[in-house]
Amino acid sequence: MYPIEVAELVKSFRQKRKRKVIVDDVSFKVKKNEIFGLLGPNGAGKTTIINILAGLLTEDSGEIRILGHRPEENWEHVRNRMNVSTAYFPLSDVLTVEQNLKVYARLFGIKNVKEKIDELLSIFELSSVRKQRVLKLSSGERTRVTLCKGLINDPEVLLLDECTVGLDPDIAEKTRNIIKQYHKHHDCSMLFTSHYMYEVEELCNRIAFLNKGKIVKIDTAENLKRLIKNQTVEIAVKEKSRELKEFLKTEGLDVLLARQNTIIFEVTSEDEKLYKTMNKIFAKGFRLTDLHIQKPTLNDIFIKFAREGKDEAP
Amino acid sequence: MKLHRINAQLLKFWYITINRVDRIFDIVYWPLIDLFVWGFASFYIRQLSEVNLLSMFLGGMILWIFVWRAGQDIAVYILEDFWSKNLYHLYTTPIRLSEHMTAVIVMGLIRSMATFLVMIALAWLMYAFNLFEIPVLMLASAIFLLSLFSWSIGLLVTALIMRFGQRIQVLAWSIVWAIQPFSCVFYPLAALPGWAQAIAAWMPTTAVFENVRAIIFGTPMNYALLGRAVIMDLALLVVMAFLLKASFNHAKRSGLLARGD
Repeated sequence: MYPIEVAELVKSFRQKRKRKVIVDDVSFKVKKNEIFGLLGPNGAGKTTIINILAGLLTEDSGEIRILGHRPEENWEHVRNRMNVSTAYFPLSDVLTVEQNLKVYARLFGIKNVKEKIDELLSIFELSSVRKQRVLKLSSGERTRVTLCKGLINDPEVLLLDECTVGLDPDIAEKTRNIIKQYHKHHDCSMLFTSHYMYEVEELCNRIAFLNKGKIVKIDTAENLKRLIKNQTVEIAVKEKSRELKEFLKTEGLDVLLARQNTIIFEVTSEDEKLYKTMNKIFAKGFRLTDLHIQKPTLNDIFIKFAREGKDEAP
Repeated sequence: MKLHRINAQLLKFWYITINRVDRIFDIVYWPLIDLFVWGFASFYIRQLSEVNLLSMFLGGMILWIFVWRAGQDIAVYILEDFWSKNLYHLYTTPIRLSEHMTAVIVMGLIRSMATFLVMIALAWLMYAFNLFEIPVLMLASAIFLLSLFSWSIGLLVTALIMRFGQRIQVLAWSIVWAIQPFSCVFYPLAALPGWAQAIAAWMPTTAVFENVRAIIFGTPMNYALLGRAVIMDLALLVVMAFLLKASFNHAKRSGLLARGD
């Protein structure tokens, strides 16, 4: 059994008298104890998928199963064992932090409410603001309060939609660590969306790239990065930069820039091509004064898929 | 339905009430204004007439609170969730629409009772008007029928908000007042023009106020009208519940529930 199963999911909205397909035949499965990332440009359908799984949106067609159940058929059982957190919807700003968490603890039927709230506020360093209204909190504090709510029922399935937006780098790192710790100590499968590639790379076991409502690719971050064959090499030489440029061209390499003593070229990551090329450069007697190798990042993959619109089938 | 989830919502509404002065203030503010205006006017008119106008106006006004307060509170507490974008989080918990609405209705009833009791006390202190001159059974029936009707109004407004979003929130405050002229709160059904009588005769509220007046003036009660009011109230409640469920499903299809706007 997969904690999250999505099969042939389709969702469209009416926009200016036309139906616009936002999620187009999306299928994926999240394994037990896996953090599964959804990546894609704005409007790719990430949040729509999260909202459908959260029970806030109904799908046009397709099927979702959470913890082996169709949510609408086993509503209480499923909803009690999952939770959602997003930075875009803070909790009620009229209520204090503690009041909000008490309400949600009761909604989930938590027994030891005080202990649970104390524990979460301590983990997220929010104990000092427990009696403050959410309205008076900073955006970072609000986001963390929402995360507290997301963990209040010790969920087995957690949907995290851009949950670190608005956090400063220090708090964002602490938050990621909390997510990692929670994931490590609980049997929890997570669906995670973010626009921060390093965050997705750090947290997610596998990533699905979405574009225009379709899944373009599902794989690990490492394998995805291998989809970009070329790496960029920037070298600086003391002299003979023109000769080096000509030499690289004769080697069949694509020289992107040659200015003064700096040359930037692309080389494929396959067949030890970089190693062989560098050996040849040294063998020819070129003396390097600087070297910088830029390997493909998840960011490059994001841009590649976003611009291409589609690639290989998953 | 689970009691702990209804309690959780009631706890939230209680927190909202104690955290916001205006939500405490409005329990008595408008009814108090009405009490002054109608009370003073009735006092003056009583000098010109033999009829017990003070009882008629104040009795009508105090009972109208159930329609106004309970109906409006349902809509306002739902709007509160829209304003704070809280529906997103609420409906990702196991709560069901029926539990949410039950909590809102109970909270509306509690606030109506609070306003009702304050008004009874003030009317007695200010005008020596005792609402309990109306037999308890009739009073209880009136409260029951008016509450049922107000819930239907509350469900209708909630359904419209769920269907069209916050932009129609003005209905939360105004719809009850559109019904009042056809409810015969301060005047008999016979005083209305023919076309208005045709509408008012079907309103459960008319049945209540007609019979309250009959008791005050010592004329025979119209049981047929009361019986029709019970059927109308229940029918309206069922229709509005279905309408709300349909609007809620629409909100889930259109994305309004996820956006909360």
